Amino acid sequence: MENNTIEEIAPVIFWSLNQSDDRHMDISTLVPPLIHEKKRMLTLKVDLQKQGGKEFNLIYYRELKPGQLRVIVINEELARKGVLPLISTYLMDTDISQRLYLIISRGNFEEFMREQLNDQANLDYFLYRMLKHYEASNQGEMSILNLHQFKNKLFSPFADPYLPLFEVKKDNFTYKGTAMFRHDKMINMLPLMDDQIFQLIDNDHYLKLFAIPSSDVTLGHVRSKVDIDLDPAYKNMTIKIDLTGRLEEYRGNKNLHEREELAKLHQNIEKYLVSRTSDLLKTMQQWKIDPLEIGTRTLHPFSKPISDSEWLKLWEKMKLKIEYRLTIQPLVNVNQ
Amino acid sequence: MFSKKNKNNNDPTKTIPSTTCQTPVTLDNLKRVLANIDEAEIIERQTNNGQQVMMLYIRSLVNLERLNEAIVEPLISSSHLTIHEYMISSKVSRMITLEEAETHLLRGDVILYGMDHEEFWAVPLQNTLSRSIQQSGTETIIYGAKDSFSELLEQNITMIRRRIPLMNLKTESFTIGSISKTEVVILYIEGITNPDYVSIARKKIASIDFDQFLDSSQVAAFMEDHKHSVFPQFQETDRPDSCAFSLGIGKLVIMVGNTAYALIAPITFFHLFQSPEDYFLRWIISSFLRCIRYLSFIISVTLIPFYVAVTTHHYQMIPLQILFVLLESRSKLPFSPFWEAFLMLITLEIIKEASLRMPTKSGQTLGVIGGIVIGQATVEAGFASNVLIVLVGISAIASFLVPNYEVTKSNSLLQFILLLLAAYLGLFGILLGAIGILAHLNGLSSLKQPYFAPVAPFYLKEWKDLFIRAPLPWMKTRPEYLHPVQKWRMSRRR
Repeated sequence: MENNTIEEIAPVIFWSLNQSDDRHMDISTLVPPLIHEKKRMLTLKVDLQKQGGKEFNLIYYRELKPGQLRVIVINEELARKGVLPLISTYLMDTDISQRLYLIISRGNFEEFMREQLNDQANLDYFLYRMLKHYEASNQGEMSILNLHQFKNKLFSPFADPYLPLFEVKKDNFTYKGTAMFRHDKMINMLPLMDDQIFQLIDNDHYLKLFAIPSSDVTLGHVRSKVDIDLDPAYKNMTIKIDLTGRLEEYRGNKNLHEREELAKLHQNIEKYLVSRTSDLLKTMQQWKIDPLEIGTRTLHPFSKPISDSEWLKLWEKMKLKIEYRLTIQPLVNVNQ
Repeated sequence: MFSKKNKNNNDPTKTIPSTTCQTPVTLDNLKRVLANIDEAEIIERQTNNGQQVMMLYIRSLVNLERLNEAIVEPLISSSHLTIHEYMISSKVSRMITLEEAETHLLRGDVILYGMDHEEFWAVPLQNTLSRSIQQSGTETIIYGAKDSFSELLEQNITMIRRRIPLMNLKTESFTIGSISKTEVVILYIEGITNPDYVSIARKKIASIDFDQFLDSSQVAAFMEDHKHSVFPQFQETDRPDSCAFSLGIGKLVIMVGNTAYALIAPITFFHLFQSPEDYFLRWIISSFLRCIRYLSFIISVTLIPFYVAVTTHHYQMIPLQILFVLLESRSKLPFSPFWEAFLMLITLEIIKEASLRMPTKSGQTLGVIGGIVIGQATVEAGFASNVLIVLVGISAIASFLVPNYEVTKSNSLLQFILLLLAAYLGLFGILLGAIGILAHLNGLSSLKQPYFAPVAPFYLKEWKDLFIRAPLPWMKTRPEYLHPVQKWRMSRRR
């Protein structure tokens, strides 16, 4: 057994992977993890990830250990090429925990880290804390997946994985939406509004705040109950969504004290949601992905499961019927 | 077996003789025995009716005031024919052999020699030097009786008899030790305690062959089934209520002369975690406290080894935030976690031992020096990390929660063994050690009875007084693993 006392090792909290050129990739990390030592960014151009891990040790006085590796930042370009080889490496390594967050970055993450190093000493740790915070259930903000969850979705025939996508600028690191994957390759990204609907119908079934600018309204504490029904021939899909929430903000010109006006607002919101959800699902059909795991509904006991390619063909052509049932607490007195 | 028991009951005082030959007692023999003993007194008196009487005794052992009241005055004033009729004493016995006479002399009896009839009589007039009945020093409790045993055997037995006023409370006494002539008494309740235990104890005591016994723990050392174990196989207590409780549930108590601690057997490992107070407090509170005791035992044994295992072998397991703290506190240390922990534990043991041996006032100073000066200075000097000091403190305090002092002592040894295993094998080492300890506990026995009952062998019903202490009305039976003669604790059972 290796005997590394903790003061002789430098646990790595994150690795950032970038496409460097056709063959190579850049692998970066921050060292040391000790709080009272000046941090610096190490970047290497390598062919293989493990090679990177090894070469880091040659330029740093402590031994870098990936046992505490918590975040893998994959550049969008690399993700579009396929993440399976990267993922398999982490899955194989018994030192690395499966509670490892995967995020996709758009922009130069290394540059951002370098810029921020002087302002924030424990940037790598804060990044991990942020992801950990948003991983908790019912947070209703981001779609965070860890390695274990990503692997399960990746290897399931009726599911496609997704990951959070962050846009990185020199001084900014912002959640931009959910990156959708077909098998291990990133296909596209759901922008924020679609991402909110995705949160409602699949990820958390909860949104802390749901701003709908087109109806001048913000709903709060929105919870959804989703009921998906496929017909036996798999030609039609009915998705019924019960939404409950409360009206937290309204800036339109309807008088919400009047029952009729409030009902109109309800209708507007429902209409809007139906059209956005329909667009979202159609986009998924076009992208030939099924992150909602609708395909698992074709599985029945004592019957042969259909193949994933067969399912995708059915999914592409499936007709969608979307129903929303909205229950909103208006938080104002409503006249009879 | 029973016939043997009856035989023993008829002759409760068994003296293991120092010499096998039986010499008849004569005045010359006695004078020879008492020669060169400065405190020996040989006084000759004449009674009212002209009889010559001689008194022989050892001054330091005899209550001289009582000597005047019980012997000298009656001798002068009375006119009976035989001398033993004068005596104002409940127990006057006639002696035939020199060995008997020696024993009586050494016990503090006065030997009277009627010169006319050539008879030897022993009158017990011991000087009952003893301290007063005080509160228990080792097993302090808030509620419950405050008295504790002293060094006077008869007084100790009285304290138990007052709690168990039963004719069935039997005592069998033995004398062991060729130099110390220590009196050992087995107490048990006939009709409750399994007679097998009594016969095992009887055999074990009879087979003891050693010269000197100054404490009950020495007697226990000769009676233990497993002499090399770190776990005590007899419960030592100075509380009469503990003894009475144990007798009531079917155990036996062994009392040793000149010792303030009685031995209780057969015990199980779990008895060592039970305090008399458990049965006085409300059951939920007692159960909670008992669980805390088990927990603190585990903490005291495994916390430091766990720290060493984790910081040496399994840093992956540590949550990131704690890892930061550990890394920072360990970053400037010259020692590996094992040596750091080893040195701190040794220091702690030194402080513990020193504070025990010191007079009370110096002990307080030592606590301050040990706790604050050494603790803080080692961290500042960079010999130990803050985290370890905290853990050593917790584990030291946790070790004192176990009511039995001997277990507290064995804790430290187990801790060192686990520490070594943790340093070499990590958590697997601790696991291996724990399995070893459990296997060892399972293999132990106390008076040939399983030490790990009621867990192994498994007695489900007895779990009501194991980790939790169920309400007293639920405890209708005596512990099954003690195989009591009378199972039920209630006289009218439905």
